[in-house]
Amino acid sequence: MSTRTTRAPSTDDGAPPRLRRFGRYLATHPHLVLVAVLVTLILVTGAIQPNYLSVTGVRNSVLFAVPIGVLAAAQTILMLTGGIDLSAAMIATGAAYVAANQSPEGAVIAIGGGLLVGVLSGAANGIGVGVFRVNPLIMTLAMSAILLGLFTSWAQTIFSGSTRMGDFIRTLGGGSFWGRTVPWAVVVWAVLSVLVIYMLRYSGFGRNLYALGDNAIATRLSGTRSWQVLIVVYMIAGLFAAIAGLLLGGRVGAVDLQLANVFLLPSVAAAVIGGTSIFGGTGTYSGTILGALILGVLQSMLTFLGVGQAIQQMLYGSIVIGLSWLYTRIAAAQ
Amino acid sequence: MTATTPSAIAAGSRRPWRRWVRRHGWTTGIWILFLALIAYYSTLIPSFGSFQVASIVNNGSPFVFLAAAQAVIVIAGGIDLGVGSMLVLTSVTAARLMEGQPFAATILIGIGILLAAAVLNSIVGWIITVSQVPDIVVTLGSLYVFQGMALWVLPNPGGGTSEGYRYLFTGSNTGIGANPWPAIAMISIAILAVAWWLGRTRRGLSLYAVGSDTTAAYLSGIRAARVKILSYAVGGSFAALAGLATTAIAGRGNATTFGGNLTLNSVAAIVLGGVALTGGIGSVIAVVPAGLILFFLNPILSAMGVDPNRAQIIQGLLIVIVMMVTGLLEWRRQRRS
Repeated sequence: MSTRTTRAPSTDDGAPPRLRRFGRYLATHPHLVLVAVLVTLILVTGAIQPNYLSVTGVRNSVLFAVPIGVLAAAQTILMLTGGIDLSAAMIATGAAYVAANQSPEGAVIAIGGGLLVGVLSGAANGIGVGVFRVNPLIMTLAMSAILLGLFTSWAQTIFSGSTRMGDFIRTLGGGSFWGRTVPWAVVVWAVLSVLVIYMLRYSGFGRNLYALGDNAIATRLSGTRSWQVLIVVYMIAGLFAAIAGLLLGGRVGAVDLQLANVFLLPSVAAAVIGGTSIFGGTGTYSGTILGALILGVLQSMLTFLGVGQAIQQMLYGSIVIGLSWLYTRIAAAQ
Repeated sequence: MTATTPSAIAAGSRRPWRRWVRRHGWTTGIWILFLALIAYYSTLIPSFGSFQVASIVNNGSPFVFLAAAQAVIVIAGGIDLGVGSMLVLTSVTAARLMEGQPFAATILIGIGILLAAAVLNSIVGWIITVSQVPDIVVTLGSLYVFQGMALWVLPNPGGGTSEGYRYLFTGSNTGIGANPWPAIAMISIAILAVAWWLGRTRRGLSLYAVGSDTTAAYLSGIRAARVKILSYAVGGSFAALAGLATTAIAGRGNATTFGGNLTLNSVAAIVLGGVALTGGIGSVIAVVPAGLILFFLNPILSAMGVDPNRAQIIQGLLIVIVMMVTGLLEWRRQRRS
C-alpha cells in the first residue's frame, strides 16, 4: 500500500491500480475479509439491538461459538488431510453421556471416561480411513450410526444411571470467573486453539497433515507412513469432539442422545467459511475460529431480529455459499 | 463404464460370463441379497403376504427415489447434501397446495413440483460450476436454504392431498393397504427410464464421462458444465419424486423433519448400491434394492428378535464392510493391471 506514484504498467482491465493492489493484498491476507465480515456483523447486530455491544452480548455470541469452534477444530485438522468427521457430533454426545454417567465417581473419572470415548471412536475412524481406505465421508457416517445405536442400547443397560453432569463439568461448561464475565469454556477453547495452531504451524505432525492433503502419493513416497498419521489425526479429532461434548453437556447440565446433533453441520460450515479446503492441503485454524465467531454473532443477530426458524436457516445457508464463493474468488486471484 | 484394456476385451470374448460378471456383478449381487432377505423375512414372521410386501415397497419408495437422485448426481462427479431437504421442501409444498383439491389438480400440482424442483436444483448446479466451490460445500448451504424454505411454506405439520393421489403411490386411498403394485409400477417406470437415459442416450452417457474425468470429457467435446447442471436438475426432480411419495404415504407434510439425516441415508444407499463416490461408476438399477435393504433391515432385525437399536449398529457395520470389500476389489484390480 505505497504511494500512487508507482503506476502499474499493464493496467488494461480498467481497474484503478490502488484498487488492484488492495485486491492483491486481500488475496495474500484472506483473513482480513473474515475480520471485516465479523466486524460488520457485530456492528449490524449492535444497530439492531444497542444492548448487544456490551460484555453480556458479546459473551453470549462467544458462548454459542464455543462448541462449534471446538468441533470445527476436529473438522479442520481432518479436512487438511482431505477427510471429514460426520461422527463428531455423535462422539461429542457419547462423551457427554458417559461423563454424566460417571459423574458420581468424581470429576477425573467422568472427564477421563468422556475423553476415552472420543479417542476410541476416533481410533476406529482412523483405522477405517487409514488402513482400510474407506472413504472418510462414509466411514464417519457409519461410525455415527454405530455410536447412536450403541449408546441408545447402552442407555438402558450399562449407562442407565445419572444423566446429570457433575458440578465440576458444569462449571467448566457454563460457569464464569471475574464477576461472571469470562466463561471457563472460552478459556478451554483458547488453550485448545493455541495448541492446534502451534501443532499445525510448527510441528512435523502438522506439516504431515498439510502434505497428506496436498498430495497423498508424494507424501507416502517421501517416507511418511500415512496410515499412522491418519489414525493419530482421527484420534485427536475424536478427542476434540469429546471436549466439545463435555463443554456443551456442562452448559446444558443434563444430557440426552440429541445433545450435539445440531452442531455437526455448523462445525463443517465454520471450517469452510474459515477458508479450509474440503479437498485438503490448505487452511488454518485461525480462519476456522473466525468462522465459528461469525456463526456465533449471526446467531445473536437472528435472535434479536426475531425472525423465525425458516428465515434463519435460509440466511444461514446463503451465508455458507456466499462466503465460500468469495473465498474461492480470492484464492483464485492469488 | 469400466476401462477395459485390450487384454480384458480378449478375455471377455473368450469367457463372456466373466465379462458379464465384472460388468453387472454388483447389481446382480445386491438384487440377490435383497431377494434372499425377503425370503428370509417371510420365514421369520407367521403371515407373510401382499400386505407385508406392500408395506416394504410403499414405505421404502421415498428412500429409493432419494437414493436414485443422489446416484445420478454422484455418477456425474458431484455430491448433493441438499437432496434430503429438497425432499422435505417438495413434500410440504405438495401437502400445502394439494389440500382439498380434486385428483386431476393434484396430479398437475405434482408435475409442477417436479419441474420446479429440477429448476431449483439446477440453480445449485449452476452455482457450483460458476463459483468453482466444491459441491459438498455449496450443497451444505442448499441443505439449509431448502430446509428454511420448507419451514416457511408449512410452519406447522399439516396440509393434505387427494385420495386418488395417495392411491398412485401407495395402492390405497388411506395410505395403508395390501396392494403393492402401484408403488412397484412407480419405482419401475421412474428407475428404468433414468437407467435407460443414463446408459443408452448420448446425453446420459456424458454424465458418466464427466464423472470419471471432467477434463477428458471437456476435451472430447462435451460441455462439462452443462452436464453437471443437468445432473443436478435430474437429481432434484428425483428428490421431488421422493417428496411427493412421502406426502402420499403420510397424507400430510411435516417441515420439522430434518433433511440432513435423509441425505446421509441416500449416501449410504448409493454406496451399498455400488456407486463410486469418486464419480463415473455405478448403476441406478443397483441402487433400488440397496435403498430398500437399508429401509428393510429394521423390520427384519426386529422380526429376528434383535433389539431395534442394534439395527442401527448393524446398518453402520454393513456399510463399512461393503466399503472395505469394494476397496479391496479396487486394490486387486489395480495390482493386476
